[in-house]
Amino acid sequence: MNPPGSVGVPEHNADQALSNPIHGPSIHSDDPQERIQARRLRIAARVEARRREALGEYLDGKKESEEDHSKSYKQKEESRLKLAKLLLYGTELVTNIQVAIDVREIHRRVEEEEIKRQRIEKLENEVKTSQDKFDEITSKWKEGKQKRIPQELWDMLNTQQLHCAGLIEDKNKLISELQQELKIKDDQYVKDLKKQSDDISLLLERMEEQVKSMMKAFRQELLHIEKAFEVERQELLTNNKKKWEWALQAHSSKELEYLVNRMKRVEEYEQQLNKQRIWDREEFIIIKIKLEQDVQILEQQLQQMKATYQLNQEKLEYNFQVLKKRDEESTVIKSQQKRKINRLHDVLNNLRSKYAKQIKQFQEENQSLTADYKRLVMQFKELQKSIRHFALIDDEKFREIWLMNEEEAKVLISRAFEVDKIIHTQHLGLPWTAPDFWFLHNVGPISQPLQKSATQIVEEVLRQTEEEGEEAASNPESYLDLPKQISSKTTKRILMLLCDESGFLIESKLLSLLLPLEKTECYLLRLDAIFSALGIESEDDLYKLVNFFFKYQAHHGSSSQTNPRDGTGTERSSLASGVERFSMATAVAQSSLESVIPRTSLASASEAAEQTSLEGGDGGEQEEKAAQAPSRLIHPNDVLKVLEAFVMGLRKSRDFWAPLKVGKDMRDDSKDSKYWEALSTVIPTAKQNLWDTFYTALERYHLVLTQRAKLLVENESLEQQNAELQSLLQQYLHSKINSELQVPPTQVFRVPTK
Amino acid sequence: MQDSRPPSGLLTPHKSSSGPGPPGLLTPHKSSSGPGPPVATHTSAPGMVPRKRTTPNFRRMRRIIAEDTEWSLAIVPLLTELCIENIIKNFRINPILKQLPPEYQQKVLSHLPPDLPLAVTANLIEDEGYWRRCCLQRWPVCHVSRHGGSWKHLFFERHLEGLLRHFIPGTTDPNTILDLLPLCKDFVHSLRVDQLLPPVHLPPTPRTAGEQSDSGSEGEAEESSADHYALGPLVAGLSQLEELDLVYGVKDCGMNFEWKLFLFTYQDCHSLAATIKACHTLKIFRLTRSHVDEEKARILIRSLLDHPTLEELDLSHNLIGDRGARGAAKLLSHSRLRVLNLANNRVRAPGAQALAHALEHNTCLLSLNLRLNCIEDEGGQALAHALLSNACLTTLHLGGNELSEPTATLLSQVLSVNTTLTSINLSCNHIGPDGGKQLLEGVADNKTLLEFDLRLSDVTQESEYLISQALHANREAARQRALNPGHFVLPVTVNGPGKLVA
Repeated sequence: MNPPGSVGVPEHNADQALSNPIHGPSIHSDDPQERIQARRLRIAARVEARRREALGEYLDGKKESEEDHSKSYKQKEESRLKLAKLLLYGTELVTNIQVAIDVREIHRRVEEEEIKRQRIEKLENEVKTSQDKFDEITSKWKEGKQKRIPQELWDMLNTQQLHCAGLIEDKNKLISELQQELKIKDDQYVKDLKKQSDDISLLLERMEEQVKSMMKAFRQELLHIEKAFEVERQELLTNNKKKWEWALQAHSSKELEYLVNRMKRVEEYEQQLNKQRIWDREEFIIIKIKLEQDVQILEQQLQQMKATYQLNQEKLEYNFQVLKKRDEESTVIKSQQKRKINRLHDVLNNLRSKYAKQIKQFQEENQSLTADYKRLVMQFKELQKSIRHFALIDDEKFREIWLMNEEEAKVLISRAFEVDKIIHTQHLGLPWTAPDFWFLHNVGPISQPLQKSATQIVEEVLRQTEEEGEEAASNPESYLDLPKQISSKTTKRILMLLCDESGFLIESKLLSLLLPLEKTECYLLRLDAIFSALGIESEDDLYKLVNFFFKYQAHHGSSSQTNPRDGTGTERSSLASGVERFSMATAVAQSSLESVIPRTSLASASEAAEQTSLEGGDGGEQEEKAAQAPSRLIHPNDVLKVLEAFVMGLRKSRDFWAPLKVGKDMRDDSKDSKYWEALSTVIPTAKQNLWDTFYTALERYHLVLTQRAKLLVENESLEQQNAELQSLLQQYLHSKINSELQVPPTQVFRVPTK
Repeated sequence: MQDSRPPSGLLTPHKSSSGPGPPGLLTPHKSSSGPGPPVATHTSAPGMVPRKRTTPNFRRMRRIIAEDTEWSLAIVPLLTELCIENIIKNFRINPILKQLPPEYQQKVLSHLPPDLPLAVTANLIEDEGYWRRCCLQRWPVCHVSRHGGSWKHLFFERHLEGLLRHFIPGTTDPNTILDLLPLCKDFVHSLRVDQLLPPVHLPPTPRTAGEQSDSGSEGEAEESSADHYALGPLVAGLSQLEELDLVYGVKDCGMNFEWKLFLFTYQDCHSLAATIKACHTLKIFRLTRSHVDEEKARILIRSLLDHPTLEELDLSHNLIGDRGARGAAKLLSHSRLRVLNLANNRVRAPGAQALAHALEHNTCLLSLNLRLNCIEDEGGQALAHALLSNACLTTLHLGGNELSEPTATLLSQVLSVNTTLTSINLSCNHIGPDGGKQLLEGVADNKTLLEFDLRLSDVTQESEYLISQALHANREAARQRALNPGHFVLPVTVNGPGKLVA
């Protein structure tokens, strides 16, 4: 089934390398590259073939076109074949001579061989016979020696001679024969030479003839081809000419048609033009008439206008006269006015100069004033600074003085108490109890109770709840002055929830640090971090937060309870925003740090009101019960929402309060006087009265005692004098002082100088 | 002429006004321009220098020039032309060519006479035109294409060949050839010597002696002294030699024929063998019609074994016989021979068998010629068997070899298989009508054979005609292939898928 070309290829290969570069690469080649190339070629050829098939037997078309297009091609092909044939025959004709000579040569060789063989045979025969003869002759010589008879010998010699002669003759014959043959050969050589020359001449002749005929044939074929080309050209020319003429004719006919059309159209247009002209004319006439009528009307109007003009002219003339007179008057007035104007101008100038002067003055004034103002402002600022400074100092001083006074007072009071105690215990014999007053514990100036920080509260709450298990609500009112409607338990739960849910607000470092700590401590620290992130600083904020949780619960509780799961999505989304807010909130917190203290005080006021309102609604206990239930029900997922809302609210409230910068509020010293009064009235008047009477009594007792003391002193001195006198006497008596008393007076003098 | 000018110069105003010559019309303007014109005349008309002396008035002189109708610039030849003429004249003594600018070189070359001594021209002139003239002057018929298309090569090759043809050993001075060697060594690519004369011993005596003894015995006696010119030194000097074509024989001896004129002595043979062995550029070696017998052929072939460049060996019309053929067969396997011609060499069946054996494994040989031998059926069959496995031989000539039907049967088998053979010649054999029919069958299966000669071989005209028809078809196909090699693949593959589908 293989194509024949591929079968034959292996044999081709070696040949290809040598002489035939026409063949393409073979599939069966040893060289893999060549095989690949061959396959590629085959594929390409197949694709090409398919394409050609698709193109509707392009090959056939080509063939047809070849048949079509060229008489010349046919002629060329024909002449080529003819010439090839002629050439073939010519060469055959020429080579025929060679072949003929070859054949003749072969024949000659064969004959020659035959003749040679014959000759050799003949010569051999000859040799044999002559040898026999010679042998015979030589044997006869021996015979001859035996012959004694001369005749016999002579006879024998004669016969011998004869034999010899015969032998020689034979030889000679042979020689002559051979020579004959040689001569014949020579002749033949000459003949051959001649024949060769004939052949050569024939060959030449034929070649020449061949060349001539070929030339002729070529020329003829050339002529034929040329003729064919000529004919083809002629045909082409005529065809083209025909085409051209046909096209020209078509063109001219079309031209004619166009011309006729054009004429028709021209006529038509002319008619239309005429119509148009007539119509125009009529119209023109109509318009003309109309216009003329208009002209007449206008002329009439013109006349009228002229009349009115006349009238007006007269009127105007009259008016002109009047005006002239008026003009004269006005000139007079004008002159007057001019004068006035001049005057006024002078005034104006004066005023202007004055004005300028004043402006200058005022400017100067202004400058000085502004300088003053600046100075004042500076002063004021300095003053303020000093005021602040002094205020601080005053505060301190006040505090110091207070403390001092207080100390003094307290010392006094304690002394008083001590005295009282002594009086009571020692003199009156009554048991003495120290009075307990609030002011006694006070140290320093009275101020508002300090705001507790949120964390502290938390700590407290936590601790409290922890302790609660043990104490079992033993001190329900221990904590604090704070929202009573919420139990600390609830708060704790809420805070725990907050702590668990908003872990993202805590820094990761902190978390890692928290791990080893205790549970409560851990919560505490976490909450601390969360609060700092949320911006909750004060106690109030914390309670607000807790409250907010409850309120939120109250508002949204039902809905969030129904589908707590739904919130998660939004929560997560708000998580990111929460983080943002965290940073914002911290920023806000930092910026508002200065204003926090006064603000909180204000805020606390407002919150107090709020709380009271809340308190008013329900009883604390009930509220707690109610609150506990929802707090449980606050879904962890809602915590973030609540936080978000809370942070927003917190910020808003702070923002609202922020612009209200209140200066240092005055200390309220209402309590001070009370305090001091209270201090002064530590000892009640009843006691004072007691003390007064006691005093008089004691004074009396004192008098007695002093008298007694005097007497005692007198007694004592007397006793002493006595003792001294006794000792002196002893001394004088016992010692050898007498010798000593004999001291020169110089020595006595020296001692007092010393 | 000069005498007539002055008076005519006086008349110029009238003539110039009436005459149509443009220079005449220009004169009034130019004369008014003052001393400028003389300079212009100087430069524009160098040929007028002598005339200036006779005419003192420049203006008048100018007018004369303008009026001179026979005046032209080419009256005196250019100096360069004079120089060139002189160079050409003295080229024999003082050849100046390379120093000239190219355009003058061309001029000089086109005017050089063709009979200049070769010593001057050989290495100096490359111009083909000059050598063409030299060749055409010496020889009426020149085939440039046979000499590599170069006229210079043609000239030197033919010059050398002429010298060799007429060289008579012992008489002619060998220096006549060797002197030429340095001049022509670069230009001789082929040597085709169709006669080498034997030495002439005692010109009067050989004829008398020859008449006395015509027999062959005399030849042997003279053989030792019948050595031809030894080509050794010459061939060794020709560095470009590629083709050597020798005939040890005398041409046109006519009726003066003597055997000794055609003697190829052992001395000749040895010297030739050494020569061709030493010549490493040789591609074609032909030694024909020289009575090379078996021994000499073997000597020659031995020297050709493993020759680096030899491609064609032609020993036709000799007597190398079977032993020589065996030597040639050995040579086939020891060289890159592409053409081997052993026509008319008395080769018989054993020689043909040896050749067939060598051919079986050969991949170079393209053409084998065994015309006019006598290999007979035995040798023919051996060759046909060899061709079954050979895939490069394209031309085979077995004309006049006593072949008959058995060989034809085998050849027809070869033809149906072989795709390289393009030309076979079986003319002058005894193929017979049956053999012809079998060959026809073989040819019918073959697509590559272009020529098949069966003349005078007893084949019926019918089969001969049919064979020629088949060959014609093959020729047309080959022509198509040659015309558009790209389309050669296409028809096969176009048919291919169709056949596969079928």
